[in-house]
Amino acid sequence: MIKFNKRGQWKIQQMVFMILAVFIFFILVGLFFLTWTSRDVRNSYEELEKEQAISSLKVITDMTEFNCGSRESLCVDKDKLRIMRGNLSLNYADFFEVESIEFYVLGNSSESFLIYDSGQSQQKKYSTYVSVCEKDSLSGYVYDKCEVGKVLVGVKLVNG
Amino acid sequence: MGKIKNNRGQQEMVGFVLIVVIVMVALMVFLVISLRTDKEIPDSVEVENMLDVLMKKTTGCAIVFEPQYDSYEDLIKSCQENKRCSNLDKMACDYLKENLRNEMEIVMGTESVINSYNIEANYVFDEELENIFSLGSGNCSGSLSGAQRIISSGGGKILVRLILCKD
Repeated sequence: MIKFNKRGQWKIQQMVFMILAVFIFFILVGLFFLTWTSRDVRNSYEELEKEQAISSLKVITDMTEFNCGSRESLCVDKDKLRIMRGNLSLNYADFFEVESIEFYVLGNSSESFLIYDSGQSQQKKYSTYVSVCEKDSLSGYVYDKCEVGKVLVGVKLVNG
Repeated sequence: MGKIKNNRGQQEMVGFVLIVVIVMVALMVFLVISLRTDKEIPDSVEVENMLDVLMKKTTGCAIVFEPQYDSYEDLIKSCQENKRCSNLDKMACDYLKENLRNEMEIVMGTESVINSYNIEANYVFDEELENIFSLGSGNCSGSLSGAQRIISSGGGKILVRLILCKD
């Protein structure tokens, strides 16, 4: 009788260990799966945040003060940039609602136009590509000359 | 007594095999999901802006007269139509390949996180695909993102696709 009870206990112990092992194994698989998917979620969150910031840069480049005058988005007038990089932009300090705006042309000329800078040192900068166009003339003909440029907008860092 | 012991052993083996099968099925489902999501190259606003701005850039090639210069978008059309830059005495396709490569190198020079690119244009007419050009540089060791632009040309359309690889 005593022998029988011991064997039963041993069987129950075996079963409990087996159930525990399977349970722990499934938890480990689940954790691995969660880590994998959360990495993807974090990446897409960062990508979305960046894309949202880039989309909001369009609001600045589409302002009448910078835009080419065409209906095209992400196109800025080089002559307007030349004017706005002076002290004139200081009047827009409350209007811009960002910490800094800078445009620069890529290529051999590498011209840059610092439009506005609040002097805030804690800034996070976002950038995107823009067409920098100006009217040029040759042999009496006027034509549009567009170059590849970038706009850099600084926003105040909220958390550190 | 011996028969009962054998039956118990068989039952335990069946249970073990069942657990192994369930685990294998779960792993297969996980693998299928992870492989399926990795296949497509996601579109990106950043790459789309880069491609749009690049296509609008004025080149030094004038097909009819100076200063009616083509933009890269017009130049791709001129290349597809086998036209010639009248001011440079050069085929539009030759000028396009030479200069677009330089242009891409300049743009890539400002991007520290991009380690390779591929840009290609294909003319689609009556569901037939004809490659106009394909340029690329670098070895990809990161994630891909891309953008596409459609240019109407003649009776068909030109698909310009830019793919960037980021660290």
